[in-house]
Amino acid sequence: MAILNITYNGMSADYPLDVDHALSDRDIRRIAVEVVRSGGLRGLRIANLSDRAFDAYVVDRFDTPGSARRIYLRPKVPFGAVP
Amino acid sequence: MNKRILFCGVGALGSHAVVLCRNLPARFALVDEDRVESKNTLSQAFVKPSIGKNKAEALKLQLASFWGVKAEAFGVRVGEDNVATLCGAADLVVDAFDNAKSRRVLSDWAKKAQTPLVHAAISADGTFGLVRWDERFVPDEEDAPDQATCEGGEHLPIIGAIAAALARAVEEHLTSGAKRDAMVSLSGVTLTATS
Repeated sequence: MAILNITYNGMSADYPLDVDHALSDRDIRRIAVEVVRSGGLRGLRIANLSDRAFDAYVVDRFDTPGSARRIYLRPKVPFGAVP
Repeated sequence: MNKRILFCGVGALGSHAVVLCRNLPARFALVDEDRVESKNTLSQAFVKPSIGKNKAEALKLQLASFWGVKAEAFGVRVGEDNVATLCGAADLVVDAFDNAKSRRVLSDWAKKAQTPLVHAAISADGTFGLVRWDERFVPDEEDAPDQATCEGGEHLPIIGAIAAALARAVEEHLTSGAKRDAMVSLSGVTLTATS
């Protein structure tokens, strides 16, 4: 079990990932595209989102004691994420 | 004796964070090699009479004249050759630089010196920012060399939000020793990790 947090276009939301195997960064980006397209995230539904929308995004992973692993898909800082 | 906080980079995020930290019981030191340009007054905490001055010196003068707060100013670039001299006396280092190379210099030094270091950064499109302690921070690479930074006045509200999250992290560390990360988007501030 993991929580995937997706930040896109200034919005940020959590999505529970019910997987028991390690996901690659590529897997995370692909899942995020599908979740955003399908409206799986509150306030963040873009039906025609590009397949490559998250190609330049960074995947951060944190283990939190006693709770699910947190995965953040976020724009690069301080540069990056330029359309 | 009050703790010494060294702010590295007093541009968009750094200048506002310094202003928001001004009431803390601390000694302030500011480092920045740039000069204030007129466009900087759109997104940074500088006022028109500061145009043309070194940013660290200008902010030092503003702190003194507006609020009577004293600070030291160093108008130099931070590199491997001087990082130990500049940061050696600091109890806490705040990284608000705008490039990965300088962030890496600070990070490498802080790990060796075991000095607390907190980073803040904003995405170029002005929709997202991070406050992250060095234990969990990896500087992102630039997509292209010398890529434009977030300088426009249109991003001032989120710059202020990230600077406030940074100032809050500094304040919390000074009072309790906690190292709390934050993620800032247009929809709000999320606290993400603590140590």
